[in-house]
Amino acid sequence: MTEPRSRMVELGPGRPTLEVQEAGSGPPLFFLHGAGGVGWDGGLALLAKHFHVYAPALPGFGKSPSEGLEKIEDALELWQLGFDLVEKLGLDKPLLVGESFGGWIAAEMAALRPKEVGKLVLMAPVGVWRDESPVVDIFGLTIGELLPFLFYDLNSAPARNMAALTSLMSDKDDRTQAQIDALIAIFLGFRTAAKFLFPVPDTGLERRLWRIRVPTLVLWGAQDKLIAASYAEIFAKHVKNSQVVLVERCGHLPLAEQAETTAKEIARFAGV
Amino acid sequence: MKFTWFHLMPYRWLPADFRQRYHSVWVDLPNGIYDPEKGHDLYNEYLDMLEYAEQCGFDAIAVNEHHQNAYGMMPSPNIMAATLARRTSKAMLLVLGNSIVCYNPPTRIAEEFAMLDVISGGRLIAGFPVGTSMDINYCSGQNPATVRDKYREGHDLIMKAWRTREPFAFSGKYTKLRYVNLWPRPVQQPNPPVWIPGLGSIETWDFCAQHDYNYSYLSFSGYKRARNMMNGYWERRAALGADDNPHSAAFFQQVCISETDAQCEKEWWPHVDYFFNKCLHLYPGTSEAPGYRTEASLRAGIVSQFGNTTQNMGIDKSWKQLVNEGYILAGSPETVRQQVEELAKTLRVGHVLLGCHIGSAPAELVNRSTRLAGEQILPKLKHIYSDYEDRWWPKALPAARRAKAGASMPAGAAR
Repeated sequence: MTEPRSRMVELGPGRPTLEVQEAGSGPPLFFLHGAGGVGWDGGLALLAKHFHVYAPALPGFGKSPSEGLEKIEDALELWQLGFDLVEKLGLDKPLLVGESFGGWIAAEMAALRPKEVGKLVLMAPVGVWRDESPVVDIFGLTIGELLPFLFYDLNSAPARNMAALTSLMSDKDDRTQAQIDALIAIFLGFRTAAKFLFPVPDTGLERRLWRIRVPTLVLWGAQDKLIAASYAEIFAKHVKNSQVVLVERCGHLPLAEQAETTAKEIARFAGV
Repeated sequence: MKFTWFHLMPYRWLPADFRQRYHSVWVDLPNGIYDPEKGHDLYNEYLDMLEYAEQCGFDAIAVNEHHQNAYGMMPSPNIMAATLARRTSKAMLLVLGNSIVCYNPPTRIAEEFAMLDVISGGRLIAGFPVGTSMDINYCSGQNPATVRDKYREGHDLIMKAWRTREPFAFSGKYTKLRYVNLWPRPVQQPNPPVWIPGLGSIETWDFCAQHDYNYSYLSFSGYKRARNMMNGYWERRAALGADDNPHSAAFFQQVCISETDAQCEKEWWPHVDYFFNKCLHLYPGTSEAPGYRTEASLRAGIVSQFGNTTQNMGIDKSWKQLVNEGYILAGSPETVRQQVEELAKTLRVGHVLLGCHIGSAPAELVNRSTRLAGEQILPKLKHIYSDYEDRWWPKALPAARRAKAGASMPAGAAR
């Protein structure tokens, strides 16, 4: 696996400082993570074989200080922050890839300043809502109960890795400092997601989807139980230049659960 | 010291197999199991209990605020307080609601509290809880990541509205109002005393000390388990240069009083059992939204989605355990009196909020308990801390200046 390099990127006074991880070489790929943070074990490492991957961590994720969240007032400032990073990293029309929470941000960025985005990949993005098929409330479940909504195969390696975290959710006071830090990290990341997605992740994105004019790949786990794959059709309907790929035997996290297929689809779409 | 009679107002008819059938008493318990006709009787019975507490000599009567909760049926504590304001005349009215962040604009709270203060002739104690995460985040949709910032801003607006005699403009992050101009304004000047209920976070202690508010520790686990927490409170106050006045703190304690110790368990256990094993049946997934607590407070006690909220809550404990560990103070008036005295002295609190009703307890039992407390406990403990000024008590109009409900009706019409 390609080991990512990590560095802290400062955006100036009154602005958050963020960790950016990068790996690989090739055309630039700007990756926006989901509520679980940046994971390099799966598809990202594979993508680094084709792309120069840049993966910033939002405040509260990775090494990015949680206090940075107070410096992002609202959703618009979050989308603008994405472009600030693109500019700071010197990327020219990168391939913009986002999953879940990050998929929403990526879609908003492409709707906001379409000329500054190369192509767009949305993996099970949040932000759209249908009463008849509600998105599962990730803020109202214990992590153990969240697992079956995230994975198609609970025996897969990524599912088992996450399940290991649930063993920390005991009512005993016998956790190590490292375990407490791991729990706090989950909490701080979810706090950031909650600022923009709580209590109902219906952000109004649907009204803005028509603004996305760049070639767009909408990629969804066919068995996604967190956000039903039927949502892919809503994106396809509004984003004119889009194609939908459903990944079989896959839940909400294609990059983790079907890393090879997902990386292959993204590379194909990008034409590398 | 002063005694407040505090009601939670639980629903009394949760089914026997409640814990097996439902995953929580709060947030998403289907309201199909609530019977409004029974609720009608219950509200009236519970309000009678509070009014009777005044007759028995309690200094104040208290209501609080919960939402979508079968053990706390007061989504609007102000409505409860409004009925009490008319039906009582001596007792102070402690309203340990209004969760500031849930009201838009927050001046609504300034208005309603001012109304209560004016109706009652200045008997109001104003409570400003942040609110539990269940209430404010899950039931009221407030964003956990911004809720404390919003609370502080709303608080500032309310206090300014109470204290300002001219219209002013307010441009906050969460509320913008061109004309703030409170009608009516409170009887108590510059404002009613403010009490802040809390569960032991340092930020709340600092907030209370900074504004000279009373800190009310509302615990279901009793005074023996509260000692470390209250020690922390007093140490923090000292570190901030605030005084050690016991009236700056209040403590909630549930009590079960019978004529004799022997009688107590038999009379009260079913209702205590109902409270701890049904009313505190909570689902960890919706017990704390991410961001509700600061990182520091979280590190101090990891629970919620990361743990088990039944921890230390008293679930599945026997009567003997609950009594020995101080979750409830139970027994004859003298037995309970001794423990209340110990509570007041060990925690150094000048205000004791007695939970004289618990779980499914019926009116007869509760009223008897209230009377016994009034006759045999309160008079014997009032002297404690009487050498300290109570800056957190209402400055009501003199009794002779207070209007009497019904007094202006035609002769014979008042009842």
